[in-house]
Amino acid sequence: MADAERIYEMMKKSIETYDSDAAVAAAELAIAEGLDLLTAVEKGFANPIRELGEAFDRMEVFLPELTLGADAMKAGVAVLEKALNAKGGKLKSKGTVIVGTVEGDIHDIGKSVVATLLQANGYQVHDLGVDIPAPRIIEAAESHNADVIALSALLSTTMLYQRDVIELLKNKGLRDKYFILVGGAPVTQAWADEIGADGFAHDAFEAVLLLDSVKEGWGK
Amino acid sequence: MNFKEIAKRSETGPLTEAKDFLMKSVAANAMRLSKEYDITWDGKTLINLDDDMADRCFQAGRELFINTGVYSMNSSRVVKFSTSEVDDALRFTRSQVAMGQGKDQVCIHHRQVEDARKPFIFCGPFNANVHEDMFVKLNEAFSQEKIVDCLFFPGYLNEVDGQLIRPTSALASRAAILYGQWAREAVRRGGRPGMAIAGHAVMAPGEIACTNEATGLRSTDPRAMVLISELQVDDVTLTRTAYYLAYGCPIYMAFTPLIGGYGGGVPGSSVVAVASFIASIMLGGEIVHMGPQHMKYKQQTNLHSLFLASLANQAVARNSNIIATTSHTTSGRPGSAQYAYEFSALALTAVTSGSNVSGPRPAEPLGNNNVSPLMGKLFAEVAHAAAGMSRDKATPIVEALYAKYKDNLDLETAPKGQPFEELYDLETLTPTLEHQALYDQVKEELVNLGIPLL
Repeated sequence: MADAERIYEMMKKSIETYDSDAAVAAAELAIAEGLDLLTAVEKGFANPIRELGEAFDRMEVFLPELTLGADAMKAGVAVLEKALNAKGGKLKSKGTVIVGTVEGDIHDIGKSVVATLLQANGYQVHDLGVDIPAPRIIEAAESHNADVIALSALLSTTMLYQRDVIELLKNKGLRDKYFILVGGAPVTQAWADEIGADGFAHDAFEAVLLLDSVKEGWGK
Repeated sequence: MNFKEIAKRSETGPLTEAKDFLMKSVAANAMRLSKEYDITWDGKTLINLDDDMADRCFQAGRELFINTGVYSMNSSRVVKFSTSEVDDALRFTRSQVAMGQGKDQVCIHHRQVEDARKPFIFCGPFNANVHEDMFVKLNEAFSQEKIVDCLFFPGYLNEVDGQLIRPTSALASRAAILYGQWAREAVRRGGRPGMAIAGHAVMAPGEIACTNEATGLRSTDPRAMVLISELQVDDVTLTRTAYYLAYGCPIYMAFTPLIGGYGGGVPGSSVVAVASFIASIMLGGEIVHMGPQHMKYKQQTNLHSLFLASLANQAVARNSNIIATTSHTTSGRPGSAQYAYEFSALALTAVTSGSNVSGPRPAEPLGNNNVSPLMGKLFAEVAHAAAGMSRDKATPIVEALYAKYKDNLDLETAPKGQPFEELYDLETLTPTLEHQALYDQVKEELVNLGIPLL
């Protein structure tokens, strides 16, 4: 147990120092020492990255630190996941989320922070990037068997494409399969209501809280 | 630098992933340079009074830009510039630009810190959503305010003929044509047919569609391009730049240093802001607009934004001829006193730091037409009153204003305000008695705080 705590501490330190190499080394040590890998993910990587996300929300750390910390987490978790899969196990996930900025819109930062914080909080995230047409978003949601589609738009002019994703889902008879979350600078609760989205979040932290509150028990 | 060279480098520069550009180039260098040049902030000061730090901030920003260049998002290539190219561009930057026509022609100047010259006033809907039925009336009301030098971003038409507009559609081009025609009609009705209109119809085809010397936006109207945070540009912006440079329009280049973003905190973001000023002129910008945006507050009158606006503007004012203007987005909305407290605080900060002004607008307008020409007039009056004011004198006034709204920055709980049609008599285009009373009351408060509004 003492060894386990020491390794969790190494993992935590790797997040705090934004060190991907250290995260990989700690993950490999956890495997070599025969630790329970799901516990290692939770205690070693998930808790510290959540703390980093909270510090980011308070603006005690900034986007570069959050990005580097998330990179370290991903590097470490990838090593643990590979070992877990080899034993026939699987990482726990609160749900699968497709994240993307809608067609015609190339703004990336807000969407990336949402993706990072969702991942840090136990969601399996597929970040499609920016300027993504509605058919591609739906195709990704279907192929990844997603639970949530999170749509970002930073321009008044491109918000319309959030509506188009929902409309296309309806036309395909797929609307009820997904929780649709919308966000972005010009997006409001009123717009979310108007286009029939399921949720609206002002920022990444709120997005996490919203998904946690409405879909507790997700996971496949 | 000739635009053809920019276009060429955006196709031939080093191929780089966006994340590497932002993290390894922008973030890492901003962090390093803000330390090397000792750019600091105590977390309390509202207006920078340290001239030496302003000069160091300029040098750090210049070095950052020479290190990073600009990232072309569509081609994934970095447009790099040599030290001599950057220094030449800074040396030959125009310090004044004319716009508008006939008796309505006006000129914007580079300003110095604590400059006695009045700042140039860009004022209008500032891209708030404006309903097609209200577009002309609302913009006419802005143009009636003689203190406004240039009608600023006449508003997003997100609907035309009762139909929501998809950005690159035929309807978007129709909307852009109407945007130009209606904006021109508004200033004609306001008695200023040659008034400059700063246009921003967002998508490249729309920008071109709204251009018409007789009935739309003209070669004498400044046209806006927007860089993406941080130090990134896309094909749409480069396309528009190519068109407007060839057409002869003054280029209004805007950027928003994102405090808490890739520049980190206020010191690093200030360095990024200076680099973005330089990037703007390298890409053809002649008037450079900075929106000191905060990642958490999503507006520009918070403590962090005020200090960044002061430091970055002072850096540029003291060390270049760049014509700077600062955008003003607030938490409070038109129809509330808080709206005026916020834009007054930032206007005093920006103008005493060497900037012109653009705005104001609520960061999160509620519905259509959430703007007030009368509050635009007050904004301009405050900006004029700040001309010649020392930073020492402005500081306690800004502190007093900031104290009035600092606990109410949350966009959810900030005053909701009212739309134009509730603040104005639409027949006479005059403010309602209630709105006029609010203006009178706030103006008196501002005078009592020490702003010389005559």
